[in-house]
Amino acid sequence: MYLKKSKSVGASSPLNGIGKQDWDARRKRKVGEITQALSVTPVDVAALRRMAISEGGLLTDEIRCRVWPKLLNVNTDNLPEKPAEDIRENHKDYHQVLLDVRRSLRRFPPGMPDEQREGLQEELIDIILYVLDRNPQLHYYQGYHDIVVTFLLVLGERLATVLVEKLSTHHLRDFMDPTMDNTKHILNYLMPIIERVNPEVHDFMQQAEVGTIFALSWLITWFGHVLSDFRHVVRLYDFFLACHPLMPIYFAAVIVLHREEEVLDCECDMASVHHLLSQIPQDLPYETLISRAGDLFVQFPPSELAREAAQQHSQQTAASTFKDFELASAQQRPDSVLRRRRKDQAMAAQAQAQSQSQAMVAVRPRAKRLVRLAVMGLTVALGAAALAVVNTALEWAPKLDLQLFP
Amino acid sequence: MESSLELTTSLPGTSLPPLRSRIFKIIVIGDSGVGKTCLTYRFCAGKFPDKTEATIGVDFREKVIEIDGEKIKVQLWDTAGQERFRKSMVQHYYRNVHAVVFVYDVTNAASFRSLPAWIEECRQHSLGQEVPRILVGNKCDLRDAVQVSTDTAQKFADSHSMPLFETSAKNPNDNDHVEAIFMTVAHKLKSQKPLVLSQPPPGMEGTMPMRKSEEEEERNAWACSC
Ligand SMILES: Nc1nc2c(ncn2[C@@H]2O[C@H](COP(=O)(O)OP(=O)(O)O)[C@@H](O)[C@H]2O)c(=O)[nH]1
Ligand SMILES: [Mg+2]
Repeated sequence: MYLKKSKSVGASSPLNGIGKQDWDARRKRKVGEITQALSVTPVDVAALRRMAISEGGLLTDEIRCRVWPKLLNVNTDNLPEKPAEDIRENHKDYHQVLLDVRRSLRRFPPGMPDEQREGLQEELIDIILYVLDRNPQLHYYQGYHDIVVTFLLVLGERLATVLVEKLSTHHLRDFMDPTMDNTKHILNYLMPIIERVNPEVHDFMQQAEVGTIFALSWLITWFGHVLSDFRHVVRLYDFFLACHPLMPIYFAAVIVLHREEEVLDCECDMASVHHLLSQIPQDLPYETLISRAGDLFVQFPPSELAREAAQQHSQQTAASTFKDFELASAQQRPDSVLRRRRKDQAMAAQAQAQSQSQAMVAVRPRAKRLVRLAVMGLTVALGAAALAVVNTALEWAPKLDLQLFP
Repeated sequence: MESSLELTTSLPGTSLPPLRSRIFKIIVIGDSGVGKTCLTYRFCAGKFPDKTEATIGVDFREKVIEIDGEKIKVQLWDTAGQERFRKSMVQHYYRNVHAVVFVYDVTNAASFRSLPAWIEECRQHSLGQEVPRILVGNKCDLRDAVQVSTDTAQKFADSHSMPLFETSAKNPNDNDHVEAIFMTVAHKLKSQKPLVLSQPPPGMEGTMPMRKSEEEEERNAWACSC
């Protein structure tokens, strides 16, 4: 299968100017550290996060198969059975999913035989509909399939299914609301980040009225839609899985800032700037940009930007931005959704869903506290992200405090 | 449509050539899968794309054409068909649009039935009959699968004062046809008075807007002439 072929992902030196031997040695050491972190009980998730963020990320798809579940706190012992065929045709999003998956040819490795690719496309449809069917509060969006295909190619169908479900109810949750209002709010973080670093670029973009839609597909597909080299995509996924769910927007800002000269040279109108920015260069210095995004996150944490955004647009968006910030940073849903979920669940009387929801209620106040810690600039995104995927906040949070905030 | 039709660098009557080429901004809308991306790609790149993907948000394509010796930039804004994108995302791109291309798939009756909703959406963005609008039925190469007859489509187009074009983004024989459709729109826009120019340089915004009545006259003429 394709997975094995891409095993050497990140094998070549990810940083320019570093000798091959040097990198080989560091790489070997890193594999050792990852193996070590996986072998202790309980697994050293904090170390795994550091590995996923630091140079080269998780290195191989084999390692990813073992580490991604830990980053998402997913138990891989009892994977779900293959879903029944009949959820397919009955689902309201079936046709849209089918349409999008059928034309997603570019996401598969160029040399892959048609038959194999078609098999994977069927699995892709199955996974998406399985997750949507089990989580009626989640709504399919075009681009979701670009995320799911990455998990499928790295992990295989069964593992991908559970991880995608977890991701969808957490990191991607805001994108899967009935409307894209929350997505839009998250995009609103982009310009304040840019402004902090390079006011000139910010002002230029404002004057061009370019908006932020050029970054929409970056955000909601975690760049899976726009990067043609699969190795770059999985490297970024290592990073994002280890980080705060708003990290993709920081990364988007970093890409714009990296191209500041091109932007300023561009004609100052919406079309030109949109066109320039939406064509993402394929030879970005990923490792440099990743560490830069981490720096920006520490320097300008979401809370600070949210406050600024609230000040800027005080009339219309103050309340919503702030609420949204809470949601996004702690990956919780709006109260209304919580209420709706509880109602749905009461009707469905589904025991499992119910316990999940209770866990979420428990997580909320705890998450707020972590957000404040992040404001103090203590960590690169580790804190809130770790919290994002816990099932029971109480079990994790104290440990988290100790490990990450010595 | 407010302030999108403005005079900037070259004023009528002056002998200087325009400093910038004119820009025609055309938005392409319709249900997911009807072939908006293929049509815009065909026009701008001259061929059917071998692999298209779902459009996420808004894609932009551009082609410089020449009409009567004048170079004109045609900008096509290719939009996502999924409803959720329209509601909060695509709005921004309805601004300053000069023409609208509605697309349906002749092999998909549902995509035809969605047209009133698309027309209504345009109207909400102040793109009503006064803006040149055309209706395109795509995928005519799939003759055996046609679900929307030319008759039905023509009646609908008439009732909305739009010209109808049936075409195929795929069928190589129709190459000229796709091109001709967009060129028709471009010619129409070019014939509009006064000149539609590129965005004004800073400080010139809002200068010399055209007279409303004249604008409407001109546009209604287009709307009814087809
Ligand atoms: N047979 C045929 N297929 C087409 C034509 N135009 C588009 N398609 C196919 O229809 C599907 C959707 O096209 P796309 O341009 O992505 O649709 P969009 O969602 O409206 O942008 C793709 O699989 C295309 O290959 C056409 O003229 N003829
Ligand atoms: Mg499209």
